[in-house]
Amino acid sequence: MNDGDVEHSGNETTATAEGTTRREFLKVLGVAGAGAAAAACGPPDTGDKLIPYLIPPDDIVPGTSVSYATLLTGAGPEPLAIHAQVRDGRVIKLEGNPSRPTGGALSALAHSSLQDLYDPDRVPGPRQRTANGLVDATWEDGIAAAGAAVAGGSTVLLTPPAVGSAARFYQEWAAAVGATWMPWEPLGLEALRTAHGIAFGIDAIPTYEINSSDHIVCFGADFLGTWLAPVEMGARFAAARMPGHGVQARFSFVGPRLSLSGLKADEWIPARAGTEVLVALALAREIASRKADGRAARVESVLDPFTLDSVAEAAGIEAEKLRRLADQVATAKAPIALPPGIAAQGPVATDMHLAVILLNYVCGAIGSTVKFDGETVRPRHVPFAAIADLGRRMSAGEIQTLIVAGVNPAYATPASLGFAEALSKVPNVISLSPHADETTSAAGWILPSHHELESWGDGLLSRDYMALAQPVMQPVFDTRQREDILLQIATAAGAADSFQAADYSGYLQGVWRELHDRLPAGAPGFDDWWYQALADGGVSLAVPPVTDVAPPLTAAAANYSFRATAAPADFSLITYPTVQFYDGRGANRPWMQEFPDAVTKAVWNAWVELHPETAGPLGVETGDLVQVRTEAGSVTAPAYVYRGIRPDTLAVPLGQGHAAYGRTAAGRGFNALDLLDGTPDQRSGALAYAGAAATLTATGQRGKLVIMQGSDVDLGREIAELINIDDVPDAMEHEIDLTTLVEAAYDSDPRSPYRWGMAIDLNACTGCGACVTACYSENNLPVVGEDLCDQGREMSWLQIMRYYEDTEEGFQAVHFPTLCQQCGDAPCEPVCPVYAAYHTPEGLNGQVYNRCVGTRYCANNCPYKVRRFNWFTYERPYPLNLQLNPDVTVRSKGVMEKCTFCVQRINRAKLDAKDEGRLVADGEIQTACMQSCPTQAITFGNLKDPASRVSRMAKGARGYRMLDELNTRPAVTYLKSVTHAAMPESEHGHGGDSEHGD
Amino acid sequence: MATAEIEVPTQELPSLADANRDISRPISTPYRRYWLLLGICGVLIAAAGVAWALQIRDGMGRAGINNPVNWGVYIVTFVFWVGIAHSGTLISAVLYLVRSGWRTTINRTAEAMTIFAVMTAGLFPLIHLGRVWYFYYLVPYPSTRLLWPNFRSPLVWDMFAIGTYFTISLVFWYLGLIPDLAGLRDKFTGLKKRLYGVFSLGWQGTVKDWSHYRRLYLYLAGIATPLVLSVHSVVSWDFAMGIVPGWHSTIFAPYFVAGAIFSGIAMVITITIPLRWAFGLDRYITKYHFDNMAKLLLFTSLIVGYSYGMEYFLAWYSADPIEMQSFLWRGTGFYAGPFWIMVFCNVVVPMSLWFKATRNSLKALFVISVFVNIGMWYERFVIIVTSLAHEFDPSAWHVYTPSLTELTILVGSFAWFFFWFLLFAKTLPTISIAEVKEHLAHEHEHGH
Repeated sequence: MNDGDVEHSGNETTATAEGTTRREFLKVLGVAGAGAAAAACGPPDTGDKLIPYLIPPDDIVPGTSVSYATLLTGAGPEPLAIHAQVRDGRVIKLEGNPSRPTGGALSALAHSSLQDLYDPDRVPGPRQRTANGLVDATWEDGIAAAGAAVAGGSTVLLTPPAVGSAARFYQEWAAAVGATWMPWEPLGLEALRTAHGIAFGIDAIPTYEINSSDHIVCFGADFLGTWLAPVEMGARFAAARMPGHGVQARFSFVGPRLSLSGLKADEWIPARAGTEVLVALALAREIASRKADGRAARVESVLDPFTLDSVAEAAGIEAEKLRRLADQVATAKAPIALPPGIAAQGPVATDMHLAVILLNYVCGAIGSTVKFDGETVRPRHVPFAAIADLGRRMSAGEIQTLIVAGVNPAYATPASLGFAEALSKVPNVISLSPHADETTSAAGWILPSHHELESWGDGLLSRDYMALAQPVMQPVFDTRQREDILLQIATAAGAADSFQAADYSGYLQGVWRELHDRLPAGAPGFDDWWYQALADGGVSLAVPPVTDVAPPLTAAAANYSFRATAAPADFSLITYPTVQFYDGRGANRPWMQEFPDAVTKAVWNAWVELHPETAGPLGVETGDLVQVRTEAGSVTAPAYVYRGIRPDTLAVPLGQGHAAYGRTAAGRGFNALDLLDGTPDQRSGALAYAGAAATLTATGQRGKLVIMQGSDVDLGREIAELINIDDVPDAMEHEIDLTTLVEAAYDSDPRSPYRWGMAIDLNACTGCGACVTACYSENNLPVVGEDLCDQGREMSWLQIMRYYEDTEEGFQAVHFPTLCQQCGDAPCEPVCPVYAAYHTPEGLNGQVYNRCVGTRYCANNCPYKVRRFNWFTYERPYPLNLQLNPDVTVRSKGVMEKCTFCVQRINRAKLDAKDEGRLVADGEIQTACMQSCPTQAITFGNLKDPASRVSRMAKGARGYRMLDELNTRPAVTYLKSVTHAAMPESEHGHGGDSEHGD
Repeated sequence: MATAEIEVPTQELPSLADANRDISRPISTPYRRYWLLLGICGVLIAAAGVAWALQIRDGMGRAGINNPVNWGVYIVTFVFWVGIAHSGTLISAVLYLVRSGWRTTINRTAEAMTIFAVMTAGLFPLIHLGRVWYFYYLVPYPSTRLLWPNFRSPLVWDMFAIGTYFTISLVFWYLGLIPDLAGLRDKFTGLKKRLYGVFSLGWQGTVKDWSHYRRLYLYLAGIATPLVLSVHSVVSWDFAMGIVPGWHSTIFAPYFVAGAIFSGIAMVITITIPLRWAFGLDRYITKYHFDNMAKLLLFTSLIVGYSYGMEYFLAWYSADPIEMQSFLWRGTGFYAGPFWIMVFCNVVVPMSLWFKATRNSLKALFVISVFVNIGMWYERFVIIVTSLAHEFDPSAWHVYTPSLTELTILVGSFAWFFFWFLLFAKTLPTISIAEVKEHLAHEHEHGH
């Protein structure tokens, strides 16, 4: 098949075929070879060759990236349709599939999947555990041994929740060999699902359309960071919070600790841990009593005991505050309540979810902002209780063979359950995981499977979109597709007849053939359709629109008896997932260890968050070692004094403290699950991550906690700006006086048509850090390690500073992405004695690495502190070096480096434009950070084009420049963050901006 | 300068023959103590060399500097040594031009100190360079890439200022040595005679020789004098031209020049007192000379103290919260220790020089001069490091502590300086014999 055929094959069944030019199509090239998706053949690539191919395969243009559309399911809570940039047979960068609603956006964890693929600690081939430890083995022996074990019966297959055809495959496989298949997700949605089952009698995860809401009340879910679908929710949140379009949704956060999401809230209702359920019920009661409609009548009796005052008392909050919140929600046009998520998932998780559902019900959100579209697209998984039970059965010797593939229960279950010990009671433990994690370390056989990026797969992204995953490169190690290993095991176990396909790609095609058969007449042939789907990353499905988005409330819910949890004597403990580690899977990725936590800005460690009022009497400061003790265990870790947590609450992050997994994760922090006793919620079987009773003692010793931010406040320097919504000027554009324009024009060569600039909307920025990791990936930023971070030698070109701004009643965080401002009159340039720092004709502050001698004067003279010096030459152990972007120089010791707005991307676009005899169009260039931002907080473009998006934003009423008084004329305009909270009068008595309204 | 009436040398005047013999005696007599000192210096230099070599191999990370404190001990020490280099020219050229008699016995030492201090200071920009192997990018040479250095960069000015200063100082020093070298040529035989002969450039001591010599010496003194102001002004612009709060100040040039003379005189005192004792030069370098140096020390201490106060006044007067915060933190924050050491050593301790008894006590003077040396090193530390640690963006604040590599090289720089000085003391007359004799002849003639 040639490209022309493929181009022809587009038709109305595909989402993007129409209007696809040949050029675009080639950019997003699918696999045009029969089945051979991988770009390369030949010997393993060790990364020591500048040009990997002596004679490249026909379809490879050296020096040009090819985008392969595929699907990433293991990078956080949501499946992500991505484009993998493949250069000369190596995947070097991941980006969101631009044809999907979230565009190029990805999460930090998703970007770091590359370091999972290229993890030097991956199991490089089949291994057998013998008396002498792990020894190399052959696939044949491994498959045979596994087949024999499975044939022995009493087999359990443990996998992550399977999306798409894989779910069907695992079920068929389990049926064929007589095994039990248990899909499991540690940070799962079992409580949410159970509560919806009780409330509406349906098995569904709703869509939370916060974008069309005008008041978001969150009961703990970290929806912008780690819960449900942070990339999608980020986009929705940004839409809800755009000021200037008349409305900006109010955002209230209920819970004992401000998470990444909570830090964006206008108002914090610091309810005691476990009492969020009461607050939700009290709000529901109050609103029901005002609305007094049919819905209110249905739940009147169940809500009756929860009066505002009694709940305020129990939750340890001011009744007045709660009443005001009730007023606001009652008068809101489209309020929405978000459930507890993981961080607030206590011992009565189902009740808490149900309370939120009732609140949504009485305020009319069900069906308007909380929508059910029938069948859920979220894969089902067994609850935590089932895994606990599996552990018990293993201990009892009931399990003969355990096949673990891609989950790590020995780490991700509380140690008090003894899953690790139970593993030793299982005669045959076979791991199909690519990593030598805690569970795999106990396996008798390790038959390592491919990374997702090396695998075939598919999955529903929404009701009407089926995504397709394809291998984007040759396997890095001697691994096999997970499903292929299972097929081979099944064959070895004598169940070969159950499957017609010889391998999983064949199986997958078989399933897709069924999908194709359902297409209306006139659809293209299967091959055309299939290759187009590969090229696009999936197909749109013709499904009838859902009418019943608001199912009726069941009687069970209307008469539910809510359980309460008693407040612990000393402290309530919260264990919460972080953006960087999630359930622990990010811990062996250097980018993620060096990722400053969104809340604490700490790196390479785990910590204990406590309130200043708690820390003060104990004499504890950030970095001092404290001991947290629960009934299940105790940990000693550095303290982090945090004003966003209740004084009676402690919080610790999940994901660190790995006993195995790899060199980067080893010896980092502690496993917060060691503090949990593992009692599941009775109704849903979910693990209680919050609410354990804990005690705290100061050890008097100093620990090490590296915080990547100097001061938390900007000391009135007007760096991070937060204004009240009433102070947002009406005028959409500044009046720009002529001199400024003329000056700005000379910030680049007057003959150049371009002056590159950026606008960053602080109101949209959630601090999720996707841009930071995207920058690491795109620009070959080295990871320096904990000690060098401690010495202030981190290399991130883009950092998100988290500044606290005081409001009248509390405080709010302003996340402030700091990167090179590409000043028009840059202080760094004149001081360089050798012209290594120079001004490009397009206004960028260029940096010539080859010319740099390393006086570091430029960095001293940079008021924004965005230049980074290579204190050492940083190594990337093979195969991490395969990820390096060939478009960007890898710097070595003694050289200064910095952000140049992804100048390699600018140049590529300029070359394309030059080929076509035109100027670069607005939006044609996306910097890596901008592309990756779920909330589209970053806009890049040409400031000389008055019609460009960035020009309009730069002139926008909320715009200001960082440290403008220095007259450096930055090309980056920040847009002030906007809050509903009242701002103190003394600070931010606006100078210029409020006058514009006059 | 009406210095003569303040203090009359009380000891008996040496004869001209005494002067010849006394001053050139160290050149011919080796001491074991001398070799020991030279050995210690050699070892310390070697240690610093190893530290530098490792830093070149591994990267600048071996130093404690970081982002945002990109300049640390290396630049501090660089400025310190440039400052030390200052008094040489001041004493030689300026005091020569104003006909101050008291310079005669100390100018040779001071000039030598200048040369060695510049040689020491000159190493630090190299040591501090991230890629020292490309140091020649800073030199304006006709490169095939048609690239010149950036003449807007204060670092380039710095290179020229210091290069000029070194050249003039060396020529000036050498010129002053010529009559003495001729004297040594006549004193020795064999190889030494030939060597001293070559370097004395055929000096015969004729009236014509002296006439040319005097004329050239005067011209060079004239050329060198503006350098006293220019060198440290330019060095101060390394900082003042930057926008860093705590650096960006118009008082920096006079402030630095005063500080340089202050530290230079202190170093002259620190060196001359042991030298005088070791070489038995009591009759030549007298309390009269020390008294004058002490007064200069006191005077410059007052200027420096005034500058410290002025920096704070300007920070307050600017009403710039960033500038104010920076200076407040300087005196109260993480680096309060270095700051108050600086104030104590440079402002408080020298105040004792108001008393004649202190000025006349060599022990006291030696101790005070050492304090000033320490204080002036800390002054540069305070200016450079505290300003960088707390700049505009509070989120980027980070402190710095020197590493072992930096301290080894710091100590090594002293060893390197003294190593050259010891060589000098052993091979050349530490006092200008010709000038002393001229002075003595004058004194003998007129009595007192």
